[in-house]
This record gives sequence, structure tokens and C-alpha cells, in this order.
Amino acid sequence: MKKAYKILPVYTGDVSGFASALYELGGMLVIHDPSGCNSTYNTHDEVRWYRQEALIYISGLNDIDAITGNDDKFINDIVRAAEDMKPRFIALANSPLPYLNGTDFKGISRIVEDRTGLSCFYVQTNAMHDYTKGASEAYLAFAKKMLKKADKIKGGINILGATPLDHVNTEFVIPEGRTLVSNWSYKTSLDEVLKAPQAELNLVVSSTGLAAAKYMKSEFGIPYELIGNYLDVKREKSHNYIVGEPVISGYAAAAIKKQYGTDFNVIATTEITDGLLSECDMKCHGEDEIRQALSDAEVIIGDPMFELISPKSARFVRLPHFAMSGRLFRKEIPDIMRLEDYYHEP
Amino acid sequence: MPTSSDDRIRIAEAQFPKPFTGGLEFNAPAHGTWNIVHIGFKIPRAHQIYICADNCMRGVVMTAAEMGELSRFSSVILEEDDMVFAGRLEESTIEGVTDVLNSLPEVPPVVIVFPVCVHKFMGCDINFIYDELSKRFPDVKFVRGFMDPVMQKRGTTPDQRLRKAMFDIIPEGEKDGSVTVIGCDMPLSEDNDIRILLEAKGIKIRDEAACRTLEDYYALGCCDRLVCSYPAGLLGTTALAKRIDKPLTYIPFTFGYDAIDSDLKEIGVTPDPDGRTSCDKAASDLKMLIGDNEIAIDYTAVPRPLSLARFLISRGFNVKKIYLDAIDPDEKEDFEWLVSNAPDTMLCATMHVKGRRLGKNESDEKILAIGQKAAWFEGTEYFVNMIEGGGLYGYAGIKAFLKLMEDAFIVPKDTEDIIPRKGLGCCCVL
Repeated sequence: MKKAYKILPVYTGDVSGFASALYELGGMLVIHDPSGCNSTYNTHDEVRWYRQEALIYISGLNDIDAITGNDDKFINDIVRAAEDMKPRFIALANSPLPYLNGTDFKGISRIVEDRTGLSCFYVQTNAMHDYTKGASEAYLAFAKKMLKKADKIKGGINILGATPLDHVNTEFVIPEGRTLVSNWSYKTSLDEVLKAPQAELNLVVSSTGLAAAKYMKSEFGIPYELIGNYLDVKREKSHNYIVGEPVISGYAAAAIKKQYGTDFNVIATTEITDGLLSECDMKCHGEDEIRQALSDAEVIIGDPMFELISPKSARFVRLPHFAMSGRLFRKEIPDIMRLEDYYHEP
Repeated sequence: MPTSSDDRIRIAEAQFPKPFTGGLEFNAPAHGTWNIVHIGFKIPRAHQIYICADNCMRGVVMTAAEMGELSRFSSVILEEDDMVFAGRLEESTIEGVTDVLNSLPEVPPVVIVFPVCVHKFMGCDINFIYDELSKRFPDVKFVRGFMDPVMQKRGTTPDQRLRKAMFDIIPEGEKDGSVTVIGCDMPLSEDNDIRILLEAKGIKIRDEAACRTLEDYYALGCCDRLVCSYPAGLLGTTALAKRIDKPLTYIPFTFGYDAIDSDLKEIGVTPDPDGRTSCDKAASDLKMLIGDNEIAIDYTAVPRPLSLARFLISRGFNVKKIYLDAIDPDEKEDFEWLVSNAPDTMLCATMHVKGRRLGKNESDEKILAIGQKAAWFEGTEYFVNMIEGGGLYGYAGIKAFLKLMEDAFIVPKDTEDIIPRKGLGCCCVL
């Protein structure tokens, strides 16, 4: 059954993805949720919470307000908090109950804008998807609401999709002749990301950045590349697998092919995969599908959690992923750009 | 008196028992308190199954993972389709739980099933789900958990109701002269007068928090009296006491001498006649060490934070702040004492939006925090790392507590490493 997870954890959810993507941008992020989303996020899905301020809150929705569709308290609480905390913008996220009762977040956003004078936008989440969806929607909604056309910087480049959920220890090397315009969105700032339309190229470093890259291509004429142009590296079918997020896994598979000539196929286990996989790769959803896909594996590269459902006969190479195993293997997470830090041929 | 919309208020101006106006909520990175996953694992050999959406699942499954207990935890993920078609939610829940149980190496004797807010809002037929599951797995005892925080603002919390559901499977037992202590997550400490005095009389104690086998757990009903020492356990123990027809004594860890004496007499033991004197001496010695350094208390450390504040202030300690979001109505007398005798003591909310501002102690003065949240808000590395009263009670408990304060004041701790860890006292593989 696709829906049953006997032992494997689920990935970080979409609401946490939303919060992670916008964490450093100075906005006030409000999750319309009774409780739990905040604690889950800051405990398991966020490395910055202890030391770095970010205005991320839940609404504390109660049963009566949910049943009666009373949005006034939600709106009033947002306005009061904005007066107290002086954010630079406000972003709203959804959760299962407001999703079920059809809360009009776009309408609420307009009211909040009127009452606070701040930009306010809604990010489509409902807690029923993984982090790639939430972060992707957050980047897209932010781009649509906040970015304005601007003159180009020669050689300017944006990095899109660099949340700590995927890249907690990654150091991106800017190619010679290129200048970093903005990093979306780790170790960055609102002022930096607002410069994004000045770039001449977007570099997508995880699937979370793809939707914003496509938007900036159509809106500002900025082309995009997947990191390492990994889809250009031809790979063949094999029984060696990299399990995980498709861009990171694809990058690693291409790097191994180039360095060792060994073929690895990607088993994409997060939601956004369109245009991100090679022919030899596949997409899996749920523990049973992943277990089945791994059943003939000779070598598996992936988060140590996947070892729980891997055949004993396979060689398992640990590549911890914060969005899967959270804090459990935090200290082992490598710089994904440095293949030598996590993969060697036997 | 109106509630405060600010994040702190002088106790003299605070409304009892709700000092603060609700609003958007912040969550501090202090996670030593137990959640429903930790609590559920107190039943030996129980398997937990949650049925919820991805984002909700993440918190509970990672709690189990960090406890090293993934083999006793499973998930059934709800998706949009489950909420659109009539009957789908029941079907997904039943088939998902069935699939999980059939795939385990052996069917566990106890399964705690956790539906969520969505089940309630969709009008899901919960009784049908349990009836069907019980037909399919007649040898399994199903515990009716619920992860529905949407209900907690106006009623009971999921952890209160979980404790009750967990106690519902405890069978009636004969009176065997023993006392069962139940409802708190912390096992009885050696510095607990309930334990010390009952054992001195040769009375056997069964401690729910220390059960090692399912047989031990089922035997909790074999006793002459139930004792509950933690507020969140009271709902469940009250129901249990009524069902199995045993007297219940509720005695949370307090710092009030008169309350200790009367509580202990109620369970049939005689308090230590030197208890008051020895506690006063220990407090006096500690005051010499701590002097006028500031003390901040939070509600997660002890069940009666105002009682603690009163105890310390009345002995000259400089308690400046008490971190809490609401006051236990049972603390009314201590609240009124503080209003009259320490009106400038500040009550500080832990969930207020302003809490997000990083609280760092920038003065040179050492601040002693009691509890993890107080430690974070005060930005101090000198703190008593305790939840739920730490299994302490009575005069022995107070003396042990003062010793912990002394240790905390002398030896700094790695606050950033310690307090984000979940479930103090549980196994943690981080």
C-alpha cells in the first residue's frame, strides 16, 4: 500500500519547505495551523532556529474558528504581530483544516496588505506534500510578488534552490567569469534576492528552484541550467542506484559517471521530477515502491534511512540528507559538490 | 483586569489564570518535554501507528527515529483524495493499519492508533474503524490515541487524552496492599518522600513510568490506592480510579510545607518531622552561594512553578521571571501570595511573537534558570535541566532540587546541545 510506511520516515513536509525557503528574507511567515507545524519545523527541519532570528509563527487555530470559518482572529493576530515585529513582508501557508474548509487565503492576503501596508502573499501548501513542493511554491510566490525588472549585471548568476534541507553543507563554487547576484536562499538576505532579475543565468541546485527559474525565464528572460548540466551526461541502465532528491542525485550520478565511468540510476523519491530525470532514472512514491525498486540493487547511495529497506546484499554508501533523516546524521552530511567526500569506487 | 497583549507582565497586574491574550504563536527551541510519541512508548511492546498528512507525520516519526524506536512506529499517509470521497478516510485508515500490522515481524500485543484533526472534521466513524480493526486483529489491544491539537485550546490536550486512553487498557486488579503511582512521565526519584516513606512501611510501589514489561503495565490496577503526581495525568487517572474502584490521591511536586504534610498523611505515611528544618537549612546555604543573582523559572521544569517561586522568594532569592503561558488554577493561593509579596515578579509568555527575539544575557551577571525554556529565553548556560518535577516529591525532593540548583549555578551546561533534544529522560540517539 502506497500510503503505509512501516519503518521509513517521511520527508520534510511542504509547510516546512515553505518556511525554510523564506527563512532569511526578513518576512513574517504565518502557518495557519493549530499546533505542531512550528515545533516539527524548528526541531527536525531547520538548522538555523536556535541562533538566527526568523519571524515564523503558527496561528494556533482552534476548532470553533475552523468550523465557523472565522478568519477575523487570524487576520487580527497577523496585523497585531506585524505591528510588533515590523517584518518586511508577510507570507501565509495553509495546513489540512483550513485547506478542508476552503479558507480564502488570497482574500486574507489582500486584507492584510490593506491593513499593514506590507506585501502579503499566499503560498499554496496543505501539509500533504513534501518539502520540495512547499519550497518551490514559496520561491515562485515570492518571485511573482516581490521581483521587479532590472538592468542586467554582466555574468551575473543566481543560485536557486539552496535551502539547508538539501544543501546544509554545500559550498557552491561560482564559475570563473560569473558573479553571484543572489542565493536563494541560505546565507542570504532580502536585499540580495531582490536583485535576482539582474542576473543573466539561473543555476538550479535542487528541484525546489525549478519553478522560480521557469518564471524568471518567462518574466525576465533569464535562462536557467541544472547544476553541472547533469542531464547532458549520458548514463545507462544499471543496478546501481542513487536514492533521493532528483537534482542532487542526478548531479552525483553524473559526477560518478564522469570520474569513474560507472553508471548509477536515480530513484527520485521527492515530488518534483518533471524535466529533472534521465531516461534510465525512475520516480518512486512510498516505502513499498522504493523497497521494490531497490530489490535488485548492487550499490545504493542514499540517506542512511534507506538502508532500512535495502537488500542486505547491496553495498550501501551513506549520503545523509537533512530533509530525510533530519538531525540524526547531521554531522555526516557532506558538501554535495565534493564527490570525493562521499563516494569512492571500491 | 484584561489579559496582557504584551509578552510579559508584572504579576500584580496579571489576570488569573490566563495572563496573556492569545495571538500568533512562537515555538522556542527547547524540546525536553515529552510529546505523545514519548508517552505512548511507555507501554512496553506497544506499536504506534499515526494516520495523518506528511507535514504532521514528520514530527512524530522523527521523534521515534531520534529515540531509536522506528521498529515500533509506523505511518499511514493521508492525501487529498482521502478527504474528497465519502468513506475513503475510514478505508485508508483501516487498510493502512492492517497493511502495517500484517507486515510486521509479529503482530504486537498493543497498538496505539492515532487519527488526527482531519478525522474529526470529516466526521469519520471512529468506532467503526476500531470495531473493524478489532475483528481483523482480535488478539491486539487497540489504544485509542488522537493527535488533534485543534481541540486543545478549549478542552483537553492530546497528551492528556492519550494518557487516559493508555490507562483504559489497564485491567481491574485485586487490592494487594500496594500503591500505584501513575500519570507522570518521570519515574519516582530516590529523593521522593512518597517512595521513601511508603517503602519504609514495607508498602510495595508500582510506578507506571518505570514499567519494563507489559505484564508490569497490566498489573498497575492491582493496588489499594492510585497516586497521580502530574497535572497532565489527572484526567486519565481519575477515569482509571473510577473504573477500577480505587481511591486516588493527587499530589504534584509542591514546595509548600503544609501541602506536603497533608498530602503525605492522605496516603497514610508520616512526614519527616525534621523535613521543614532541613529544607530551610539547605535553602539558607544555597542562598549564601547564589546571593542576589537573578533566577528565572519556567513551567516545564516543575508542575507548580508559582509554588517554587514563592518558596524561593520567601527565603530571599531573587526570582525575577516566571515563564508560563497560563497558570494552573490549583496555584491560586501561591499566585495571590506572590501578588501581595513579590508584585514586581514578571510573568513572561513563552509563545508570544516577541519571544522570537533572541534572548541573550549580555550582562556579566550570572542568571540561574530553572527549566529549559527559561534557559533559552535568558540565554544562560546555568540551568536546572528538569521536566515534570524530575520525579521528586516532599522534603527529600526539595532538598534534592536545591542541590540541583547549586550544581546548575556552579557548573555551566552546553545549552545549545542539550535543550533542542526531545524527551528528556528518553533514549536519544543524537
